[in-house]
Amino acid sequence: MTTTPLIGVSKSLLKIKELINHVANTCLNVLITGETGVGKEVVAQNLYEESPRTAHSFVKINCAALPETLLESELYGYEKGAFTGAHKKRPGKFQAAHKGVLFLDEIGDMPLSLQSKMLHVLQSGEFSPLGSDQDFKTDVWVIAATNHDLEQRIKQKQFREDLFYRLNIIKIDIPPLRERKEDIPALVEYYFRLYTSEYPNNQGSKPDPDTMERLCNYPWPGNVRQLQNCIKKQMVLNSWEKIFDEMPSEENHGIVSRTPPGPQSNPGLDNNVHPDFANDQTSLISQFVDLSTSSDKLFQDISLKKIKKKAADRVEKEVITFVLDKVGWNRSRAAKILKVSYKTLLYKMTEFELDPPSK
Amino acid sequence: MADPVRLLIVDDNEDILSTFYEFFNSMGYAVKTAVDGFAALKLLREKTHDFDCLITDLVMPNISGVGLISIVKKEYPDLKIIAMTGYGDQPGALASEARADVVLFKPVDLFKIEEKIIALLDNGSPKKQE
Repeated sequence: MTTTPLIGVSKSLLKIKELINHVANTCLNVLITGETGVGKEVVAQNLYEESPRTAHSFVKINCAALPETLLESELYGYEKGAFTGAHKKRPGKFQAAHKGVLFLDEIGDMPLSLQSKMLHVLQSGEFSPLGSDQDFKTDVWVIAATNHDLEQRIKQKQFREDLFYRLNIIKIDIPPLRERKEDIPALVEYYFRLYTSEYPNNQGSKPDPDTMERLCNYPWPGNVRQLQNCIKKQMVLNSWEKIFDEMPSEENHGIVSRTPPGPQSNPGLDNNVHPDFANDQTSLISQFVDLSTSSDKLFQDISLKKIKKKAADRVEKEVITFVLDKVGWNRSRAAKILKVSYKTLLYKMTEFELDPPSK
Repeated sequence: MADPVRLLIVDDNEDILSTFYEFFNSMGYAVKTAVDGFAALKLLREKTHDFDCLITDLVMPNISGVGLISIVKKEYPDLKIIAMTGYGDQPGALASEARADVVLFKPVDLFKIEEKIIALLDNGSPKKQE
């Protein structure tokens, strides 16, 4: 694992670095909070890097991305025959993270029933895999992160108060990028250097002072991840104007209502779909079945059900990518815009293999 | 005459902090204050001051009282600890688990805290200032 350093000069970021430095050796439970894209995982990795646990693993699990039963078996593992399909014994993340770090991302989305089990493990330091009557001692350093206001979720009875206090021993709150604009030039510089070495043939120009000012004054709803994505795009497009055009409007929330979602309005998407829908039927069909094969084979391949699924998936994937791109990969916002639950969005993202731009 | 007992008081509520400061100062204690667990930990690790007793709130930003107690019990085992909480049972239970010597629920009577300090330091053997 390569740890991304914490980049910035703002008072709040320097304080976070200092806090990491003071608490990393204590291995007390940590709760990291902040909006999507602020760098919660980066903080967790930095804690791990400065801790005495680096000889062991940093294991990450996203509590929102998996259905309840799968999350449970991922966390605790299972014995052979624990449930239908459990053909062989499988260790869970708690075992994998033994003596290391278990990073529980999106802890605020963990189902209540699993919260009780998690609380029990944190209290007792023991867990048992599904289908096992044996308790295992575990020594993991739990670092949890969330973009939810957990105190609010406690009031709504969606998060256990006792688990909250047990996780919240050390709290690291990362402010959104718009509240620490002074970090932006350093971040721009960092990602420029990173992508220049990664893609030596793509040389986008660095921002001039005016562009930098614009970058600093932009509200960055998707925070550092969105900024990072912009720099990456600049390496390829080499046009700050285009980059700014594609960003959600600087008045922030206006963009979605002004630009109806659709493949046509996003030049970044696979734009051969839209004209095809309108014009050439054969070419449209060819996107879903191979028309060059013999009739026999072709008729075998054509299934309305399958094609429907393929076509729907394709459109869904494009719309999701489009919206995510517009909101700087802020998944909570994207889910709201798409009018699906946060969980549904994460399932779809996994299904379509949509990942935020890599670090 | 005995040296004054040295207190470190930690609370993120500045009104409470100044009330405590005034009270214990007027009672002849040597008092230092910190606005959260992190500030307190830095003060302790700077090692420019020694303390006999730590009085800390529990629910605070950065390093919570429970976190501070856990660290202090490991790094400064002689330091007596009084925890105070206004957030129901949970933080109090965690503070006991982290081996706070006394856990009090807010609102707390300042005279009662003083009694606890005296009792704790009589039982133990506080270090005296050289």
